[in-house]
Amino acid sequence: MSSETTAQKRAPRLTVDDVLNHRRRAGWSRRVLYVFLLAAMAWSLNVTVIQDTDWARMGSLGNVLGAAGRFAGIDFALFPTLIAPMLETFMIACLGTLVGVIICIPAAWFGAQNVTPFKPITYPLARLAMTLSRSIHEIVWALFFVSAVGLGALAGVLALAVRSVGFIAKMSAEAIEDIDPGPVEAIRATGGNAFQVMLYGVLPQVLPQILSVIVFEWEINIRRSAVLGLVGAGGLGLVFFRQMNTFNYHGVTSVIIAILLLISAGELVSYYARKAVI
Amino acid sequence: MNRPPQSPLVTPAGPSACHWSRFKFPDSLIRYASWISVLVFLTYTVEYLDIPLDRLLGMFGRMGTTLSTRYYPPDIGYTLDVGYLSYVVDTIHMAFLGAIFGLIASIPLAWFGSFNMSPSRRWLYPIARLITMSCRAVHEMIWAILFVAILGFGMLPGVLALTFFCTGFAGKLFAEEIEAIDVGPVEAMRASGANQLQVMAFGVFPQVRVAFTGIAIYTWDVAFRAATVVGFFGAGGMGWYLKRNILQVETERVAAILLSIIILVLISEIASAWARAKVMKMN
Repeated sequence: MSSETTAQKRAPRLTVDDVLNHRRRAGWSRRVLYVFLLAAMAWSLNVTVIQDTDWARMGSLGNVLGAAGRFAGIDFALFPTLIAPMLETFMIACLGTLVGVIICIPAAWFGAQNVTPFKPITYPLARLAMTLSRSIHEIVWALFFVSAVGLGALAGVLALAVRSVGFIAKMSAEAIEDIDPGPVEAIRATGGNAFQVMLYGVLPQVLPQILSVIVFEWEINIRRSAVLGLVGAGGLGLVFFRQMNTFNYHGVTSVIIAILLLISAGELVSYYARKAVI
Repeated sequence: MNRPPQSPLVTPAGPSACHWSRFKFPDSLIRYASWISVLVFLTYTVEYLDIPLDRLLGMFGRMGTTLSTRYYPPDIGYTLDVGYLSYVVDTIHMAFLGAIFGLIASIPLAWFGSFNMSPSRRWLYPIARLITMSCRAVHEMIWAILFVAILGFGMLPGVLALTFFCTGFAGKLFAEEIEAIDVGPVEAMRASGANQLQVMAFGVFPQVRVAFTGIAIYTWDVAFRAATVVGFFGAGGMGWYLKRNILQVETERVAAILLSIIILVLISEIASAWARAKVMKMN
């Protein structure tokens, strides 16, 4: 970004009038953009809040606050039974990240322009796989894998793995594209084969970045694995679903507190791990 | 556990005994032990979660047959129906509103929650960080379920769920952006007697404006991705169609809906990438 702006400032010899004209035009286009955004917002507000919402059924503000107030309270008796699901959620996240990293190795290799084996086919293929993986929500992936391998933790692990491939592979491929070609050429010149080039020329250069991306994705995966239980993949989501369906609202709050605890622990670990890696 | 090789400095007994290793004694043992413990933990995880490894191999064949026999000819006509398309438009509305509200809420949170600019490091900083973190930690699905339980079915709970999600998402990125600014102009303004709001408006904001715009566009993109599924639990949008067809085992329609989601997300991703590139260039 900064290099672009400096290049732009340096490139043509601009007169003062040019700059002022550009500013005026930019100002106008900006104003048009603001008006457009406001109009879109008004339209959306009209559709969602005025037309679609059934205010009569929702009742007065007191009714809404009363409905929200049902959640105010903690079911302490539930906490001992939450430890096993918490562990399960954590483990699903760990395994999902691991499997995702394993799938990522070919994806990142094919998806980096400078190391992809056969550019016209493998590069678009890998890019397509990454986009597909990122564009489908984890709930949908979980539904798909539940129908493929049955209920249980395996479906959750696979859903997380497939979902995290997109991000890790994209960041890794970008890191690989930015490497210094010197070591790679040196290894190739001494007769290293493609595998040796990857292992000794490329990997050492990108490992810290990729590790930090993996830790980051692991932290996000903890958050995701907490909801996979809603569609049958075990863990805290399943407990949440049960508490919700049995109208034990205080239990719902307890489950949310457990999720928050788990995620803050994960965030802490991820913070220090990323610091240690870089 | 075999002992790692001795350091070459300790045993200078000729070139043959001089064994090089990258990590010296305590380090090598720690690394070795941590790798082993990670492996043990992962093995135990497979055991604990009761993962049927024998099923993994058969999975691909089964998935192939399921896809080809049941999902294969996607019922495209179903997704071109007016009812479905109006739900798609609703989804876009929801994502837009959720992103806008979330961005509006996240700007003060980012200000209070950035360590270098927070007006009060003792009170506002931890509170803002806590709010941002809890918005982000609770998954958008859980927000959607909670708001549906409180407000009933419809698009309003979906918008609120997306608002909370976007607040957490954008709040963190904004705060990180503010923490990375150049403090020179800020100090100059402080020295000339500007108050907190003036420092924020004229010292900080011009530095982060472009980054904020990029993040805002990205937030909209992410919100749209989430909006396609919040309807799954009754919060409006296409997710409701998805759920209905899954429950009715109309697999060919499900395939068509999934295809439409993928295409829409691709379009939104391309649009957001284009808009971000444009914003970067405009500056």
